[in-house]
Amino acid sequence: MQDKKLTPVQTVIMAVSLVVVLFPVFWILMTAIKPPTDWNASPAIWIPSEPTFVNFQTLFDPEALGKYGVGGVSQPATKAVFGSLLATVVSTTLSVIIGLFSAIGISRYGNNSKSTPLIILSGRMFPPAAIAVPFVIIFSNIGLIDSYTGLIAIYVAVTLPFSTWMLKSFVDDLPREIEEAAMIDGRGKLAAHLTVTIPLIRGGLFATTMFIFILNWSEFMFALVLSYSNISTIPVQLAKYVTATAGTLYGVQAALAVLAMIPLVIVGYLIQGHLARGMTFGAIKQ
Amino acid sequence: MTQTAIGTSSNRKGLGNKAIARIFTVPGQVVSLLVLVMPLLVALYMSFTDWSPTRGSLFDASFVAFDNYSELLIWDTRFIYAVIRTLLISGICLCLEFTFGLGLAVLFMRRFRGKSVLFSAFLTPMMILPVVVGYIFWMLFQSNGPINQMLEFAFGAQATLDWFRSAGPAIVAVIATEVWHWTPLFFLILLSGLNSVPENPVRAAVILGANPRQVFWRVVMPTLKPVIIVAFVIRAMEVIKLFDEVYMLTRGGPGSSTETISLYIYKLAFNDFQLAYGAAAAFLVLVGSLLLVHMLLAPVRNQLLEGDK
Repeated sequence: MQDKKLTPVQTVIMAVSLVVVLFPVFWILMTAIKPPTDWNASPAIWIPSEPTFVNFQTLFDPEALGKYGVGGVSQPATKAVFGSLLATVVSTTLSVIIGLFSAIGISRYGNNSKSTPLIILSGRMFPPAAIAVPFVIIFSNIGLIDSYTGLIAIYVAVTLPFSTWMLKSFVDDLPREIEEAAMIDGRGKLAAHLTVTIPLIRGGLFATTMFIFILNWSEFMFALVLSYSNISTIPVQLAKYVTATAGTLYGVQAALAVLAMIPLVIVGYLIQGHLARGMTFGAIKQ
Repeated sequence: MTQTAIGTSSNRKGLGNKAIARIFTVPGQVVSLLVLVMPLLVALYMSFTDWSPTRGSLFDASFVAFDNYSELLIWDTRFIYAVIRTLLISGICLCLEFTFGLGLAVLFMRRFRGKSVLFSAFLTPMMILPVVVGYIFWMLFQSNGPINQMLEFAFGAQATLDWFRSAGPAIVAVIATEVWHWTPLFFLILLSGLNSVPENPVRAAVILGANPRQVFWRVVMPTLKPVIIVAFVIRAMEVIKLFDEVYMLTRGGPGSSTETISLYIYKLAFNDFQLAYGAAAAFLVLVGSLLLVHMLLAPVRNQLLEGDK
């Protein structure tokens, strides 16, 4: 059944699916470059009459829409962009470093109890709403609410199962003999892992880092619940735009949405071969 | 024997296996303990009290045993509907995502030009943030949006809908969004599964006179079974928690007709500040989803935990 060509019917199915998959992306991109007059026109305008970058400008300079006679844009998105970058970069780094050590530990030395992997894994099964409730209480008592430290702690905990399991699948793929050779040469176990294991899985390390970046950048509920006035992230800002100004600032919202998705789509294409591995905790290999 | 040999050599080179294992896994365990287990214990305690933020410290609240739980399971129809609705949406989404994903994966087993470009294109939806996906579909389903425009073009003005004004269409919008977002994951997993189906049994079946349909259902699908189960379990774990997309699309409305469990718990805790009650609901969901995942996972647990070795 392999290697046959597509029949005409299959070609049509493929073409239709492609349109269905790409149309929403086309729509958000077009909305992001629509001038205010086209935002909420009825019937909807597919291709902007005069493409413009004013929506993107408005994200950082609320006055930019003035030349179209639109004012009163709420706060700029600068803080949210900064917040997303900070929380994502720091938590991704921590999650990958801790996950790397857990992965080597579990893959090479096993665990005294078989339940440790399950405990780490079950972190993924908790509905975020279930852990968000106690977090708010604990964090408001120890002063971590509305702070990036608190947000980062949660992000690390939530993505740790993914980084551990994805990295473990890469360490599993590496023959033990290579590390053992280094140990026979007189290096200690720690040194052998630092100088042999880690450099040899650097491709996998990169893919994992990018994957965790995607997860952290996308996170919404914890940021929504834990941020009040001090901190913000792009997903939270996007949700706020919708409630505060529903129906009036389509273009600006779309611009923020595009800004949020562009890095992820680029990163996603870079590591597309590894996405299944990450999403399935390394159970599916490429 | 071997044990002693390793013991001696590791003494010479520093740390033993157990010590190393501990050093390597402790940071992960500490994080999981502090940031996942501890809050859950607090929530568990809280779910047996009548605490709310207006009543001072958690320790001042009175202990009400299982009152919250019995209230939820017997009297709270909004909770019960949210559970049924979430299971229903999850079931429909998984079936549709599996069907479309498998169909697409089968097409990709054939030869055609531009395959790698198309492959990337088909994966695009899963690379977009859930919140943004929710936002995009919120725009698409506006009453003056492009979906209504297309419906009007195809079936006339009476076919257009106020998607977010009534329950049925709103749920359809939620399902369409979720299916668009996650079909690529099924496609990706199933395609890698199909690619790793060994060729010999397939050839043998062909030689023995099986037609393509028989080859597919009798030879290919059984070998694909573990992959399919993993895909279903992983997606089930996620779709049960459905929140971001629904929050952006409908906020659970109209009324509570698109409220998922996560959205209901969110509203209980952070709009109504019934934190103890919300914690009880969260625990029921947690226990329920753990049981569900446990059952679904049973046939493939070893593969998931041990890798291929």
